[in-house]
Amino acid sequence: MKNYWLKWWQTIKVTWVKHTAYRLNFFLQIIGPGLVFFFIKYQLWSSIYRGDQQTIIGGFTLDQMIQYHVWGFLVALIAQANGSWNLSEDIRMGRISSYLIYPFQFHEYHTASFVSFQFIQLFIATFTLALIVLTQLAFLPSLYYLIQGTLFTLFISLFWFLLQYLVGILAFWLEETWIIRVIISIVSYFLSGAIIPLDLYPKWLTHILDYTPFPYLTYYPIQIFMERPVPVFQGYFVITLWMLITIFFINFVWKRGIKMYTAAGM
Amino acid sequence: MNAPVIRADKLSKKFISYKKAPGIKGTVSSFFKRKPIEKYAVNNFDLTINKGEIIGLLGPNGAGKTTLMKMFTGIIVPSTGELNILGHRPSDRNLDFRRKIALVMGQKSQLWWDIPAMDSFLLLQKYYEVSEQNFKERIEEMGTILNVTSLFHIHVRKLSLGERMKLELMASLLHNPEVIFLDEPTIGLDLVAQENIRNFVKRYHEKTNCTLILTSHYMQDVLALCKRLVLIFDGKKGYDGAIGDFEKILGNNKTVNFNFSNSQNIEEDFWKQYNPLWNEDSTQVEIQVPEDEVRAVGLEVLKKYPITDFQTEKMPIERVMKTLMENPDILRNQKTP
Repeated sequence: MKNYWLKWWQTIKVTWVKHTAYRLNFFLQIIGPGLVFFFIKYQLWSSIYRGDQQTIIGGFTLDQMIQYHVWGFLVALIAQANGSWNLSEDIRMGRISSYLIYPFQFHEYHTASFVSFQFIQLFIATFTLALIVLTQLAFLPSLYYLIQGTLFTLFISLFWFLLQYLVGILAFWLEETWIIRVIISIVSYFLSGAIIPLDLYPKWLTHILDYTPFPYLTYYPIQIFMERPVPVFQGYFVITLWMLITIFFINFVWKRGIKMYTAAGM
Repeated sequence: MNAPVIRADKLSKKFISYKKAPGIKGTVSSFFKRKPIEKYAVNNFDLTINKGEIIGLLGPNGAGKTTLMKMFTGIIVPSTGELNILGHRPSDRNLDFRRKIALVMGQKSQLWWDIPAMDSFLLLQKYYEVSEQNFKERIEEMGTILNVTSLFHIHVRKLSLGERMKLELMASLLHNPEVIFLDEPTIGLDLVAQENIRNFVKRYHEKTNCTLILTSHYMQDVLALCKRLVLIFDGKKGYDGAIGDFEKILGNNKTVNFNFSNSQNIEEDFWKQYNPLWNEDSTQVEIQVPEDEVRAVGLEVLKKYPITDFQTEKMPIERVMKTLMENPDILRNQKTP
């Protein structure tokens, strides 16, 4: 058993070194897109409110709306940034062959790589949070909400990882999987509350969305960080169900895909 | 007699690709109606390999060598047929099986590109559960023989191809595998590095009596390491037998070259019986002499003609291989032992 965990630990260490081998590149890749997205939303909402501090839209003042998106930026940083999108290319170029030969499974390797990535992400997120608090863009919640929000976001990141893994291994059939990734990203931007808080959506729609993973991806964790009451256990429950469904499909796709794998290019 | 280490029985692998005409029109029409093309990369391949053997698996590009290697290592699943290696079916990808084999690919790096080789070694040590003591000893020993101990802590991407290949070889042998697949391990290497790798593999085999399957386009590799050859042409087995017999596949003749100090009369009857090949100014000839007459013919030529230099062929295997690649049908008339 000890030997088994040593395999995990060593993989986490090696992938950590690999993730950080090109530091500047890594940093830009992680922070860059999120930051650009945040400033677009900042401009968007500032012009909707016309800079008026008194206006309330969907229960949010301009200040609260900005805070909402600051937390949204942090949540995305922890939950969505991991790089297992590259998986499809690894399959297409035949790079996964090594992990079909090593006595450590392919999915174990990727999970370990994800864990090490999350360590780095948490570090970057902490640093970013300190900057945000120092510049008073948002206020630090109480320790209770901070821990609860972080735990929930980490849980969400696991779901994102599984979803990305599933899309990645579709590369056994598809030449390119980026189009699916783009569709998932756009749909989730709108339905998870990453652009517009779900409070502004019609009630019937948010009721339906509660059964999907979407609101838990962005809206819920933001609400926790902003110390607003949300049914957290419902979140854990729904996401656990979706994770099980995703794992089922991963198994299904993997078993069929690996039979078709041609290890091209080796 | 022990059970064979590798046994392949009517092993086949079929690939399906789709035909597509060039241009936009082709893209559109292939979107609606695709024409599948089936091709057997390996077709009804039988093979038995015993413990401790070194097999040279040869064939032209695209003949199916790599596909065979991929099936042997469990990377791809055979379409039909049975394959048994060390009591396992490779395509099950059983962890026990994985611990017993190793694959070295000259065309593809298995070491992590962005980290020093030592980090990869440490990772593999954990994967294969090699004890600390054993790991240190093996690294030290192999590193010294291959003269690469000073490279362990340099990023792999900064190493030369030859240096990297030696480290690749080390990485794949850390766990003392029972069966080793070497897929063109010396490709692209300079002569010294090729020889280093060959000597190392030879020594390693003598010490461990592992089973080795080697593919290479360099006949020196094959001559230095293999006693048995398996040829694959167009997915099918063309020859399987001792390397000595292979050299005689085109007959028992030896090729002998003579250089003369001046032009010779190429019409002379003496030469005609040996199927001569003259150079343009008739100062050099290549003749085919029956093996048991080489000495007598040599002496006669030396006596009768103004010889400045002469050689007998060093690697008949290369000539045989080249002839067969150009005309694989020759093998159809040969009996495979």
